Amino acid sequence: MRAWAPIAVAAAALFALQLLLGRFEFFVYLASLVGVNVILAVSLNIINGMTGQFSIGHAGFMAVGAYTASVFSLATNDTRIAGLGVVSDQIFFVAALALGGAAAALCGFLVGLPSLRLRGDYLAIVTLGFGEIIRVIVQNTPSLGGPLGLSGVPQYSTFAMVWFVVFITVLVARRLASSTHGRALWAIREDEVAAEAMGVDTTAYKVRAFVVSAFFAGVAGGLFTHFQSVITPAQFDFTRSIDIVVFIVAGGLGSTTGAVSAAVVLTLLPEALRSLFGAIGADSSLSAVVDQIRKPLYGVLLIIIMLARPQGIFGTNEAWDLFKKKKAAA
Amino acid sequence: MSVGEVILEAKATSITFGGLKALTSFNLQVKRGDLKGLIGPNGAGKTTAFNVLTGVYLPTSGDVEVCGERVNGRRPWEINRRGLARTFQNIRLFKSLTALDNVRIAVIANTKPLFARDRIARLRSGSSMNRVAAKVLDASNNYVDWWRALLKTPGFLREEAELTARADALLEVMGLSHRRDEQAKNLPYGEQRRLEIARALGTQPKVLLLDEPAAGMNTREKADLMVLIRELREKFSLGILVIEHDMKLVMGICEHITVLDHGETIAAGDPAAVRADPKVIEAYLGEAPAHA
Repeated sequence: MRAWAPIAVAAAALFALQLLLGRFEFFVYLASLVGVNVILAVSLNIINGMTGQFSIGHAGFMAVGAYTASVFSLATNDTRIAGLGVVSDQIFFVAALALGGAAAALCGFLVGLPSLRLRGDYLAIVTLGFGEIIRVIVQNTPSLGGPLGLSGVPQYSTFAMVWFVVFITVLVARRLASSTHGRALWAIREDEVAAEAMGVDTTAYKVRAFVVSAFFAGVAGGLFTHFQSVITPAQFDFTRSIDIVVFIVAGGLGSTTGAVSAAVVLTLLPEALRSLFGAIGADSSLSAVVDQIRKPLYGVLLIIIMLARPQGIFGTNEAWDLFKKKKAAA
Repeated sequence: MSVGEVILEAKATSITFGGLKALTSFNLQVKRGDLKGLIGPNGAGKTTAFNVLTGVYLPTSGDVEVCGERVNGRRPWEINRRGLARTFQNIRLFKSLTALDNVRIAVIANTKPLFARDRIARLRSGSSMNRVAAKVLDASNNYVDWWRALLKTPGFLREEAELTARADALLEVMGLSHRRDEQAKNLPYGEQRRLEIARALGTQPKVLLLDEPAAGMNTREKADLMVLIRELREKFSLGILVIEHDMKLVMGICEHITVLDHGETIAAGDPAAVRADPKVIEAYLGEAPAHA
C-alpha cells in the first residue's frame, strides 16, 4: 500500500495541475521540454552516477525510443478504440511510449554486453559510437524520413503525462538507490575488483543498469516526439548526449536531486536569456544568438563548477536524505 | 558443516605471466577450522596465489577446487558464492560508502528466491543446455528481485531489514558499531582493516583469506587481531588462510605454514619445523657466507 500511495497522489496532483495550467500553451511546451530533460538526466545518472560507467550516447537511446514511438503512432493514427473518445488516443500513446522504451531497453542490453569488457574511456567511445550509429542509420533510412525526419506525429503528450513519467523515473531511481541492488551498483562504482570479490555479479549489474537507463531514455524520446510532432536525426546528435552529461556532472554524479535540478535550470536558462534579451528591446536576431551562446555558456559553467566544486552542486547527496537527517535530529 | 571438511584445495596450481613463473605447482588444502599461514619474502607470489585461488587470475596449469568442485575459469563472484571470501593487501573498501553499506553489499539475503539457488547451481555444473537454463532462471530471479525493490513489496522490506540486522551484527562482532554511519575512508587504518574482514564475513564464507591483515597496525592492534582471528574461526567455524609479514603473528596463530619463494613452495609444515628449515632461513636472511 505504502509503495503505491505516492504514485496515486502524484497522479491526482498532476491531473489537477493539468486542468489548471493546461491551457497555457507555451508553459506546457516548456514544462514538457524540461520534463523530458529531467527524465534523460535521471536515467543517465543510473549508469554514470550510480554505477560509475561513463556513457555518452544517451541521445542514441532517446532516438530509438522517439522513432519507435513515432512510427507506431503514425501507423495507428487512424485507428480508434470504439466508444472511448480521447481516452483511446491516450491508450495508444501509452502503448507507443512502452514500445519506445522497450526498443531502447533492448538496445541498452545490446550495448551493455560488449561494454562489460571495457572501462572508462573505452566504454565512453563505444557508447558514443552507438549514438552516432543510430543517428546515421536513421538519417539514411528513407522510411524513417531520412535527414528530414518524421513529421505529423499526433500531439498526444500532455503536461500531466510528461511529469507523471518524470515522477516514476525519480521514484525508480530513488527506490533502486535505497535497495540492495542500488548498493551493488555503488559497489561497482567504488571498486569493481572488490565488488566482484564480495559476490557482486558485476557483469549482470552493469547490463541491467544499461537496460533500465535506456528504457527511460526511450520513453523520454517517445514523450518528446509526441509534443514536438516533428523529429529529425539532427535532434539526437552528439551534442544532445553531451547536454545530458553536463546536466548530471553539474548536478553531481550519483545524485538524483542534482540531476533533476541541473536539468531544470539548464533547460530554462536559454529560455530565460531569450526573454531577457526580448525585455531589453534587443532585435529578434538576438534570440538566435542565444542558441549559439548556449554551448559556450555550458562550457564556462562546467569549468567553473569543476574548479569550485568538482563533485557537482549536490555531490552524491539527496534532498530526501537531508530531510531524513533533520527529522532524526529533531 | 563439520570441522575437517575440505573446502579449498589447490592442486599443483601454476601460473606464468609471459616468461615469469609467478607460482609453480602450488599445493594447499584448507579445511573448515584450519588456521594456516602463507609466508615468503617480497615478491614470492603470495598475493598471486590468493588471486589464483579467488579467481582473479586463471591458473596456467593445475586446478583450484572449492568444496570438491573445480573452479578454474569461474568468475570471482561465483567463487565467492561457493564459500570463499577475502580481504585485500591494499585495503579495497567502498570508500565513500558508510561502514554499514560496505557490509550490507556483501550480505546475501536468506530468503527464498523464485527459483531455488541450489537448483540453479546444480544446473550450472551440468550440460551446456542446463547452463543456459541456469542463466535464464538466474536472470528471472534477478529481474523479479528488482521489481520487488521498485514496488517495495513486504517481502522486500523484510529482506532489507534482515540484511541490515545481519550487517549490524557483523559490525558488532568486529567492534565497529560506533562507526556504522561513517564513510569508510574516514575510518582509522586499523578499523578499515577490520571493516574489510566484516565485509568478507558478510558473504558467509566457509574459508576466509586474509591478505596481510596486520599491515600498518601497531603492536597492540596486532595482539588484538591475533585474538580476533582465533575468535572468528570458532564463532563462524571458518577455515582461515593468512598471508602475513609479521612473523610473530604468523608463528603465534597458525597451525600450518606454507613458505613461498620465487613462486615455489620451499617449505610447509608446523611453525616450529618451518622456522628451523635452512631453506626458509636462506630465503629470508640470504645465503650464509661460505667462509663464515
